[in-house]
Amino acid sequence: MGEVQKGLLSVIQKLKGSEEQELRIVLLGLDNAGKTTLLKRLASEEVNTITPTQGFNIKSVHSHGFKLNVWDIGGQRAIRTYWKKYLGSTDMLIYVIDSADQKRFEETGQELSELVEDENLTSVPLLVFANKQDLATASSAADIAEGLNLHTYRDRPWQIQACSALSGEGVQDGMNWICSQITSRKK
Amino acid sequence: MYSLMANCCNWLKRWREPIRKVTLIMVGLDNAGKTATVKGIQGESPEDVAPTVGFSKIDLKQGRFEVTIFDLGGGKRIRGIWKNYYAESYGIIFVVDSSDVERMEETKETMSELLRHPKISGKPVLVLANKQDKEGALAEADVIECLSLEKLVNEHKCLCQIEPCSAIIGYGKKIDKSIKKGLLWLLHIIAKDFDALYERIQKDTTEQKAAEEQEKRERAERVRKIREESYLCIF
Repeated sequence: MGEVQKGLLSVIQKLKGSEEQELRIVLLGLDNAGKTTLLKRLASEEVNTITPTQGFNIKSVHSHGFKLNVWDIGGQRAIRTYWKKYLGSTDMLIYVIDSADQKRFEETGQELSELVEDENLTSVPLLVFANKQDLATASSAADIAEGLNLHTYRDRPWQIQACSALSGEGVQDGMNWICSQITSRKK
Repeated sequence: MYSLMANCCNWLKRWREPIRKVTLIMVGLDNAGKTATVKGIQGESPEDVAPTVGFSKIDLKQGRFEVTIFDLGGGKRIRGIWKNYYAESYGIIFVVDSSDVERMEETKETMSELLRHPKISGKPVLVLANKQDKEGALAEADVIECLSLEKLVNEHKCLCQIEPCSAIIGYGKKIDKSIKKGLLWLLHIIAKDFDALYERIQKDTTEQKAAEEQEKRERAERVRKIREESYLCIF
């Protein structure tokens, strides 16, 4: 009887469409880049009370038939060394940049270039969110791509998306890219 | 009998040819259909693509060629990255939205700037006059005229072929035959002049890599200093 039920269940599941695929996404960037705000925006939560992240936050987001488990890991200097511990079996890397903090572009570029050398991230697609576009002094996405030397990353697809985690602008476009990447990779 | 032998000879000749690695860049304005074309070539459905504001690549085998195609974002504000890929490309695939008559002037300017670049001039260009399935799409001859293509390619000594096509009508084996034909033409031209191209690309990429490495080292050094300073500030 148990067997029959199991068989029946799988038939029903097939009819419903295959089970939701789970994916692991890590969200990284310097402190004050807006990672946690972005995470909350992705999960459609209130974004007005954010404090610096000491450890990590995780949220599951459902989009385009995928279950995206997004890990937001604190970006302060002292805890950046722990980033590596979270990188195992990552499907997608999201890197967040404060587009108005030109003084730290070099630092964030350096962190990113050290990060992508990690063997867990070999050929993992990279989405760079050029965040805080709502600020008047924000640099354009193209300038940031140039500043980060993104063109030297040839072993993986990458995309730069201008956004404002605060207003939500551009966030969905970034998610659409993630999903289009995943669909083409899984086929 | 003679033709049979000639065939055998040809076949032997081809068999002895080494496998050649070739990089192509796929460029054009945003919404021209670059990613759709690339996906079609790769055998994936060209529907539901997100606008590229960045970079992706595909690898494929075509005869004795191992081809890598760089698909680059075409939006006005991301076009600045194209130049970083010129040095290593053997040929260019330029995709045009033939139905977007209003942007032909912009297309022309973009193409002129591309062909003028010292790392591109003299390399072969395949122009895909895409979106022929759309109503009001310009025919091959009109696209040539709108872009002043003849003048442009002659000026910069780029061998050029134009193929009217529509990337979205099929993919994989059912891909628009014109796309396939264009790609074969491009590879054929590259093969004809392979040694000279190879040499040029080796030289250009070595220079570029050296410059990139240097820049990387310098940045690492600058960042190290900044980190040290901020470390001292804490104490």
